[in-house]
Amino acid sequence: MATQIVMDRTGDTRHNFDAKNADALLKAEERFRELTGAGFTAAVRTASGEAVVKRTFDPNAEETLFFPRLVGG
Amino acid sequence: MFRQLLRTANERLRLFLSERGRRARVIRDSLRRQRGRIEPSSRFVSGFRHAYFESEARGLVLLKEWLSPEQFAQYDAKSYFEVTGCYSGKRYRICHGTSMNIYELDGAGRPRVGLCFVPKGYLVSGDVILAQKIALETDERRALTVANRFFSCFDYSSY
Repeated sequence: MATQIVMDRTGDTRHNFDAKNADALLKAEERFRELTGAGFTAAVRTASGEAVVKRTFDPNAEETLFFPRLVGG
Repeated sequence: MFRQLLRTANERLRLFLSERGRRARVIRDSLRRQRGRIEPSSRFVSGFRHAYFESEARGLVLLKEWLSPEQFAQYDAKSYFEVTGCYSGKRYRICHGTSMNIYELDGAGRPRVGLCFVPKGYLVSGDVILAQKIALETDERRALTVANRFFSCFDYSSY
């Protein structure tokens, strides 16, 4: 089961989906496009634990984290 | 004559307030006996507090999942951890907080200048820190472009 984690005011919202299911995968890709289009950054973790930013949808990613656009504080 | 009237009015007022107080207690007691009733005083504050701490806790769980073992140990012990900028190789210290919580370190590991950048919108502290960590480790230049700088005058060496 793959997960898309979206940071929000409640901490985060998790969207679990079956990466082997074509419909679920399509929906996940659509969510990816919507979020990145809205300015969110998508990041995944490599096997060594390093974070890598993804500009395009990775159907093999087990966990994708989305955080909002960065602004000066 | 006037004193007598005043005394009578005072006595009636006392009886009136006493009766009202008694009725109020009866109504309050009957309301308390109703099943599933939420205490008005705790309805908002307690719920809000619970939701707030739950969100904060969820943010910290997510942060700890994404920290490296070294960063996790450092954060657990000192409430801050250090990251390496992917572009410059500079070291940054990210302290627990939601703003003005990043310091660029000098060669000796002392805070040189403060940096402030955050994810847009309201996020809990764990989420803010995690976004800052990923930004510095994966897209340092972009993070530095949006960051505001502040003078760091504190000595965190013994922090």
